[in-house]
Amino acid sequence: MNLPDVLLKLSFFVFTLLITALLSRVLSLLIGDLFREWAPSLRTSLQRLASVAVWMVGLIFAIGLLGLKTDLLLLLVGLMGLAVLLALREVLENVGAKYFSDLYIPFKVGDIIRVGGQSGKVIEINPVTTVLLTKEERLISIPNSVFMREKVVNLTPHVWKEILIPVTISSSLSLPEFESEVLKACGRFRRYLDERFPPLLTVKGREEKYVNLILTLMVKDPSKKEEIVRELNRKISEIEKNLKRKK
Amino acid sequence: MRLCLVSQTPLVLFLRERRQEHGTVPLKLSSLSEGEDYEFTAGGVTKMVYPLLRKMREGGLLEVAHWVSLNPGAPPLLSSSGLLLHHLELEKQRLSGYGAAKETLWRTLHGLSRETVDFLWQDEFIDYTYFNRKCAEFLLSLEKENDFDLFYIHDFQMLPLGHMLNLLKPKLFRWHLPFDETLLPEEWRPLLSLYFNSYEAVVVSCRKYLKTLRRLGYRGKSVHLYPYLDLSLYGKPTREEVEALCNRFGIGEDERVVLVVARLDPMKGQDRAIEGFAKAGIPGTKLMLVGDGSFSSSKKGMGLSKAERWLGYLRGRARELGVEDRVIFAGYLKPRELQAAYERCEVVLLPSLLEGFGLVVIEGWVYRKPCLVSRRAGVAELIKEGENGLLFDPLLPEELAEKLSLLLSDERLAASLGEGGKETSSLCSLERGVEEEAKVMRELVGE
Repeated sequence: MNLPDVLLKLSFFVFTLLITALLSRVLSLLIGDLFREWAPSLRTSLQRLASVAVWMVGLIFAIGLLGLKTDLLLLLVGLMGLAVLLALREVLENVGAKYFSDLYIPFKVGDIIRVGGQSGKVIEINPVTTVLLTKEERLISIPNSVFMREKVVNLTPHVWKEILIPVTISSSLSLPEFESEVLKACGRFRRYLDERFPPLLTVKGREEKYVNLILTLMVKDPSKKEEIVRELNRKISEIEKNLKRKK
Repeated sequence: MRLCLVSQTPLVLFLRERRQEHGTVPLKLSSLSEGEDYEFTAGGVTKMVYPLLRKMREGGLLEVAHWVSLNPGAPPLLSSSGLLLHHLELEKQRLSGYGAAKETLWRTLHGLSRETVDFLWQDEFIDYTYFNRKCAEFLLSLEKENDFDLFYIHDFQMLPLGHMLNLLKPKLFRWHLPFDETLLPEEWRPLLSLYFNSYEAVVVSCRKYLKTLRRLGYRGKSVHLYPYLDLSLYGKPTREEVEALCNRFGIGEDERVVLVVARLDPMKGQDRAIEGFAKAGIPGTKLMLVGDGSFSSSKKGMGLSKAERWLGYLRGRARELGVEDRVIFAGYLKPRELQAAYERCEVVLLPSLLEGFGLVVIEGWVYRKPCLVSRRAGVAELIKEGENGLLFDPLLPEELAEKLSLLLSDERLAASLGEGGKETSSLCSLERGVEEEAKVMRELVGE
């Protein structure tokens, strides 16, 4: 292969990577816009997943452009994925359940719950199990997948009022600014909320690029929960977008 | 121990804008001139905190000490006596909202207004939350560099910080205000309870405030520690200093002085003092009101002008009661001048309608002065009627007038109360305060 050929292939390779980056960004924005009423954490995860998928396809395509064989690479990736899925089937089931229970199952650390004939205070929710402390001071570890199959009763007083909205924002955004805007947005729903509990934003964790938050609200009428959550999710997306734009 | 302390009020107030002058290199306080470049902020919090930190540094208990506060226009970083003072800014509009919110909180906690749940939903409360979050974010960045052992948060303005600092580090909160559960709006209780419960320990100024804390549902460690002063700083002023003070304010040699030391604020009850003083009608006596606005309430600090308005009202009230020529509005006095005022006076009066503690009584005791104390001040807990002071109800000017007359006519009683007070003042000495604070802090850190 002569030098101009190599240079040409390399420039195609770089060009493909640039297109991949652009596609990944466009897809991420598209998801953000299309699913703005979804829980922000779920939306962010979907964006990350889509980005990883686009990059994988883009990379394989770019490697193909260099003239290298990608069939074997594809087979290896596929087989590895299958092996991981099979080996970690149960763990993944629990991790997945944990992921969805975070978003949709109404209990948190500190609540008293009953599930599958066991009851106790939730003292830990890890990726695989949820740990309950019983009245007799015994620890019970319940696989997270159980929460997707069994009926869960939350016995915590007034918990029916609670709305927990997980939010993930970029750590480059100003948290005080974001919080102010979210609190103002919540104020619009004040007539549906228990006024003694103003909206509260709690930082649950920080990663290098993201800050994980929980927005807690208390409703007067639980039948309005879904509507409020949907509206707030939409509002939060807008706030995030506006702050990013301002930056 | 590596400590990070937070108070809204800074140690010093700069007399001109210096924000842009220095960046990350700390400006040394010792390189500046008091009275020209800066002045120490008034009030009990800074009077306690600064000597506490200095003493703990000197005693080797504190390896690192950072003090974060709000100080618009001040250099971002200052160093003094081994302490690093961080000054936070707040945008003008936010500052005004924050100021309004903290004023509402302050008034409500002092029973001056009956707030409703509306307050928790107003933009001002959002600005209050904004400042706390800004401070929390700053503390987290400091934590990354310093790995603190303890966060010590002072006063009601910073209460939400505990909840915002989601760190597995002990957080100690000191409540300086009066804490009367009957004044707390019912609708605020869930939020207050949540905020308090984010601290591992809470310190209050009086024993009686512990009850409010428990009834609010606080489950952590609650401690009562009397506020304290570095009593060694209160030296005997020279004869010349006392004379200079008298000349400045037109106090005659034979005239007697009743002294009130408090910032200009309706809650401090200067109007009650003027009323009681006028009712007592003791000839040859002057009422000296020392103090100007606090960091928040003066134009120099956060830009609110509450103090100026109150001063206007007090002048008018003195005129109405016909005592304007016998009431001295001394304003801010430098430490040596204040000491001369204590030395010169016959009685120290604390007329507050409500007061978290009342350190001026301790200052009066240092000079062996008889103290006439409002029953509504926290320090009243230390008064044994007729042994180390006299108590009165600030809402009853007759009672104040009667006891004031008694103290000015019975020299022996006045002297014995002064002696009794001097003995009691040791309960509020810096040494004792540092010892007790250190005990709480060590326990929390697990040393």
